[in-house]
Parts: sequence; C-alpha cells; structure tokens
Amino acid sequence: MQRILQNPMAITGLCFIGIILLLALLAPWIAPYDPDAVQVKQILIGPSAEHWMGTDGLGRDVWSRMLFGGRVSLLVGLVAVGISTVIGVILGALAGYYRGWVDTVIMRLVDIMLSIPSFFLILAVIAFLSPSITNVMIVIGLTSWMSVTRLVRAEFLSLTQREFVTASTALGAQDWRVIFKHCLPNSLTPVLVSVVLGIASAVLLESGLSFLGLGVQPPQASWGNILTDGKEYIQFAWWLSLYPGLAILITVLGYNLLGEGLRDVFDPRSHTR
Amino acid sequence: MMKRRMTNRRLTGMHHTCTKQYASIGQQLVIGMLCSTLLACSADSPDQNTAALNQPYPAQTGGTLISAMPSDPSGMIGMVAGESASLAIGAYLFNSLLTFNQDLDLAGELAESWQVADDKKTITFKLKPGLQWADGKPLTSADVLFTWQLIIDEKTHSPYASDYQLVTKAEAPDAQTFIVHYAQPFAPALESWAHLQVLPKHKLAGQDIHTTSFAQKPLGSHYYQLKEWRHGEYLKLERNPKSVLGPANIDNVVERIIPDPAAQFLELMADNIDSMTLDPITYARIIPSRPALQAKLNQYKELGNSYTYLGFNLKRKPFDDVRVRKAINYAIDKQEIIDGVYLGLGIAIASPYKPGTRWSNPNLTPYPFDPTKAKQLLAEAGYVDSNGDGIVERDGKKLSFEVLTNLGNKQREKTTVIIQRRLKEVGIETRIRTLEWASLLTNFIKPGDFDAVVMGWGLSLDPDQYSIWHSSQQGPGQFNFIGYNNPAVDKLLEQGRMEFDPETRMQIYHDFAKVLYEDSPLVYLSAGYGLTAIHKRVQGIMNPVPPAGVGYDSHKWYLPEPLRRTQIQAE
Repeated sequence: MQRILQNPMAITGLCFIGIILLLALLAPWIAPYDPDAVQVKQILIGPSAEHWMGTDGLGRDVWSRMLFGGRVSLLVGLVAVGISTVIGVILGALAGYYRGWVDTVIMRLVDIMLSIPSFFLILAVIAFLSPSITNVMIVIGLTSWMSVTRLVRAEFLSLTQREFVTASTALGAQDWRVIFKHCLPNSLTPVLVSVVLGIASAVLLESGLSFLGLGVQPPQASWGNILTDGKEYIQFAWWLSLYPGLAILITVLGYNLLGEGLRDVFDPRSHTR
Repeated sequence: MMKRRMTNRRLTGMHHTCTKQYASIGQQLVIGMLCSTLLACSADSPDQNTAALNQPYPAQTGGTLISAMPSDPSGMIGMVAGESASLAIGAYLFNSLLTFNQDLDLAGELAESWQVADDKKTITFKLKPGLQWADGKPLTSADVLFTWQLIIDEKTHSPYASDYQLVTKAEAPDAQTFIVHYAQPFAPALESWAHLQVLPKHKLAGQDIHTTSFAQKPLGSHYYQLKEWRHGEYLKLERNPKSVLGPANIDNVVERIIPDPAAQFLELMADNIDSMTLDPITYARIIPSRPALQAKLNQYKELGNSYTYLGFNLKRKPFDDVRVRKAINYAIDKQEIIDGVYLGLGIAIASPYKPGTRWSNPNLTPYPFDPTKAKQLLAEAGYVDSNGDGIVERDGKKLSFEVLTNLGNKQREKTTVIIQRRLKEVGIETRIRTLEWASLLTNFIKPGDFDAVVMGWGLSLDPDQYSIWHSSQQGPGQFNFIGYNNPAVDKLLEQGRMEFDPETRMQIYHDFAKVLYEDSPLVYLSAGYGLTAIHKRVQGIMNPVPPAGVGYDSHKWYLPEPLRRTQIQAE
C-alpha cells in the first residue's frame, strides 16, 4: 500500500477516478437541474453561470446530465468487469489446476473467443437483444473474460508446482480447498491490474455503444449518448461534444494510469534496480 | 398514393445512409472541424462579390449548377428501381402525361387535354402535337402504352404497379390518343398519370428491364439528358435542346453524391455545391449566425406534404377507449415539440392534409395543450392514481405503454422524449424504444406488435387516404397498421375515390377529417417545413416558394454570367 502511494502514476490515476466517482455518487445532491427536464425555450445555450456546461438540443442542463451519465458509465464499467472477472478467474483456475482435457477445452474456447472481433460480436448481440443498460453490462462482461482466464491459468500452472501447494495436497486437502485457500489468493495480483484496465475499456465500450444508439436508451443520459446528441451540432455547439469527451478521457486515463501503476508496484522485476 | 410509398422508401433510404456512414463519420468530423476553422478565417473578410450577388440580372442561358444528393441512384428507371434517388434523376429526364402546376392543380405535360367520360370509368388523353425524344424520334401514345404495360408486367416487379393494375384496358388508337378504362370510377387515377415517367418504346422494346443498358444510358424527353455518370461520385446532366417543354436556361446540372449532410454543408460553405436541403438547426441557427454564409446563400422554406404523429395500436387496451386517446392528445404540447425539435419550423395540424390546401378542413383547430382536461378525461375513463406513485391506474393496472420510433431519426427521438415527459405529468408512464428502421417495420409494425409509435406519413397530392384509414387495409404490411376501423370513415373514403368533382370531393374529405378529429386515432404532432439553401448566383427562383415547392420551375432558373464559377469543380 505504501508503495502504491509512492507511485506517481497510481496516485494520479486514483485522483482522477476518485473525483469522477465522487461526482457520480453525489449526482442527485449536486446536480442543479433535473437531468431530463426539457426546456424548449433554452435550447443549445452555451456555457454560462446558470448552465456551467450549457444546454443540449432539448434545453436540458448538460452538467446535470453529465453527472447522472457518469453513474451509468461507471456502473456499466464495474458490473461488466465484475462479471468478466468472476468467469475468467473460475475458468482460469479450473484450467490451470486440473490441466489435461479441461485445460485444452477451456483454452481452445479462449482462442475461439479471442478470434472474434469483440466489438462486432457485441454489436450483433445487442442488436439481437434489445439495447438496455442491463444487456450492455452482461454482454460486455460475457465477451471480455479471456485475458483474465489466461492470467489466472498461468499463475496456477506455476503455483501448483510450489512446495506449499504440494504439501497441502499431500496432507489430503480437497481440490476446492487448495484452489481457493492456497492458489487463488496468490494469483490475484495480476488479476487486479487487469481488472482496473478492464474497467477502462468497458467504459469506452459502453460509450461507443451508446454513441451508436445501442447502449443506454433515452431519456437516460450516458456520456456516450450525450456525445451522439452533440454530433449533430458539432459545428457550433462544441460544449456538447467536448465535456463528455473529456469525461471519458479522464476516466479511461485514470483507470489506465492506476492499472499501470499497480503493475509497476506488484511486478517484482521493477524493483530490482 | 404512389407518392406516399415513395416517401416511405425515402425514409428507409435516409436511414440506411445514416448507419452506413458511421464508420467514416469520425474522420469526416475531424476534417470537418479543420475545414470550418479555415473557412471562417477566409470568409470573414469582406467579400467583394457580395454586392454583385444581390444585384438582379436578366434571364440568360448557360452555366453549370452543382447540387448534392445523398445516395447514388441504382438505375435511371425509377418506376422499376423504386428508390428516391432514381426517381429524382428520372424527373430530370422523363415526362409524364400530367403534372401539377404551381398551385398543385393538375395540368397537362405530355397531354394537351384529358377527358373523363360520363360514367367516370374512362379517361381519354390527347397528346401534344410534335413531341419527340432527345434523339429526334417521335414520342407517341405508343410509348405511353408501352410504359404502362411495362409497369404492370409481373416480371417487372414495379413497387408502383398497383395503381396502374386498376386499369382494365388501355389503348392507343392513334399516335395522339391514349385511352384507359377502369372497372369502376377511381378519382386518384388522374394523379397516378402525373407520376408515370414515360419511357421510349423504341429503345426498350424486347429488352429485359432489369439488365438493360438503358438503365445506365437513358434516353428521355425532358429538360435534361444524362451525359456522364461516375458511380458514387456524380451525375452530369446536359440540357436537352429538343425538350418537349422547351429548353431550360441552365446548360449543365451536376448532381454530386454526398451521403452525409454535414459533408454536404461543408461543400456548400466551400462553394463547391450550389444547393442542398437543410435541417432545422442549420437553417435556423447555423446560417443566421454566420454573416459570410448569409451573404451568399438564399434560404427557402416550404410546407412539406407530410406530418409526424403518435399512433396508437387501437386493437390494444387502453387505446380502444376514445377518452384515453383524447386525454393523451390534450396532454401533449405540440407547440413545444415544434419549438424544441423543429426550432419553430413546423405547424400544428388538425387534419391529415397539408394546411392551406383545399383538402384540409379549415374549421378544425389542433387539440390544445390542456393537462387539466387530460386528467379529467382519464378520470372519466376510470384511471386514477390510487397508490400515490404518480401513475394512474384502473383495476390495479398502471396506465403504462411503450413508444417505438426509428433509430437514427434524431427529430423523432427528441419528440418521444418530450412526449414522455408531458405524459408523465398527467400520470401516464411511457417507455421509449428506438429500433432500426427495417426491424421496426418487420418485427413490430407488420405483425401489429406495438403499443404506440412515433412515425410520419408522407402524403400524395391526391386526397385519397384509403390505404391508411380504410378498415380493409389492416393486413400485415398494409398501411392501416394502427387498426383503425370506423364504418363512417370507410364510407367517406369509398365515396371520395368515386368522386371527380373537386367541390364535392372537398366536402367529403372535410367530413372525413372531422370524424378523425373526434375519434383521435392518432395525435398529429406537426407538419414540418422542407428547407433549402441555394447560392445567390442562381437567380429566377420564385420567392415566396409556391405550393408546388422551390424546385417547381427550376428550368427557369438562370446563372448570370458574371456570377458563374470560373471552372467546374466537380471532381
């Protein structure tokens, strides 16, 4: 923990994420307007004291929509990565611990999944189901567990050769006990890094899907669909594209910096200097 | 009727263009931003041409007009291709028997006169003397007969065949006369002859219409003929000196294919195209905010022959109750939608006809915005909020439904958001779902699996709306998908089709609009304006725009020599 706080990248990332998370969590209390309140008399007003980030094509306050949109984006990021991590860890643990045909089947499944361009797979699935937050979270989760599986499997392959694991097997411990008590806790460090990086890409994916109209449905705000609305007016209402763009940038940058920082901290090779 | 279908297709087309463009939009935006900054710098300096642009010149011939269209036509035979780009180019090349004059009354084009027999079942057209194709061959009633046979031929699969299939017999007794017989009086027939683009028999006879080279190298009789066609880039049209209506003023018309409206607008700003259709934002906000653009562009608006509506599935509860339908009508503020979505460029309507035309009933006024009345009607229908959650219910069931609209149509998406908000205020819960156009039609509209939709009707100039409202038109894929069934309306629609006298017909359709008004089977949201920007170097344009539209007399437009481009920048 001490080392995390000493890593400048991790600290910067944490700050970015902290601010965004705080704003999103406090949205209902700090948003000056109802994010869905249509005001046709105040369409496309530039940033002013009254509307910090201006208003959109329906006269809704962009700042309030950004705050509530942030909740959606972050929620999708966390839940999707949660799903993919659970799947990835379980499959990776099974493959790495049992090896043999279990390993072959799971790793070929990983290969198959990796060979499909995931964004197009997601697009196809979402178009088939109906677009909604829940579907987006589940689909992103179900299509991004492969890297975690590989990481966990690799860790397990080396851990099962270690003395303490062999010892507990020799003492007659059951498989699940060895997996959950001995191997798993020792393989979570790289997973943590990949989770943090995964959130960043899930946030991006959600924004992309919402931008294409396949993510969060109106009138609910998300950074992606605020951007889409802005596309129409980009020639003169720059605030509709700039702010959600910045928010996505800061969030993704934050998670990536934190992820890189954590990797440096946990990677033993980076401390040998 | 035919126009109606064309408009449906036009919507489809628009939509496909949108989705296809996603891949390149990113690039275009970046380029777009760069260009607009550059342009702003140069354009802000005083333009020495501005004064010249505002000076009127006498009519003259010559010059090249460059215009933009969103998609490449699939062929030049629009009646077969069935898409708007083909029909639009076809309108430059081919004539019809009849046309509409500037006040939208029927007039002769190829026909000098037409006569409806006393039993109203036979129409006799007399062609003008001395008509000829661009290659000098005579254009006769045999060509008209040939075109009719082609369109109704099963093998042609023309999407517009149905109107012409009502003709039981057509004959061309001499080169000047064309006679059609109907089994029963059919008033919309006349309009259908204003849409049939007459094709040359001597070029097409004996050919397979789907593979013929004519679709790429057409021969027509109208103001222009096709000179060059670079697929996906542009079509170059050249004046036809033998035009049956006399030659046009402008020598060449170039139609550039630019799918993305934003890219079209950049080209307009860069002076690479002379005209384009605009959306309300560009018309009402962007152009007025830039003096340099205002100085060189004229803006035109015309009330379109279409409207947007909220339609109910009348076969489902609670929409079978007229009080609920009326309540929803009162609860929606149409002016708010017009101001918010169309930036004021639309008007509220009370009948399914273009306001100001003879068919629109002047005694009806649009449903006012009256939430109190809406709540009262809901209460009468048994809907009250008994559990205090803000949503009314009857027998423990919430008044809640789903509103569908097509993905990518921003104006409709915004409209649904405004409606959702207003309905919530009177205690009605709605969920919005936007669907890809094809999926909306096939999976929801055709099987009748929806609660409510926000869609639009593009109308024909003939007042007949049999296919939209008659109770017999409810089958899958037919236009009365909301399931409207009213014997009084059925009767009026049947009468209207049989009546050729304009005054009697007008009364019939006024009565029809009144019944609809009382029944409120859908909520008319707004009729929007068609918006166009044309460079000031084009002169002779009628302003204000006549009812027939800004392009109605484009053959009389001219480009004064001092204002022409020095070189054509079509590449």
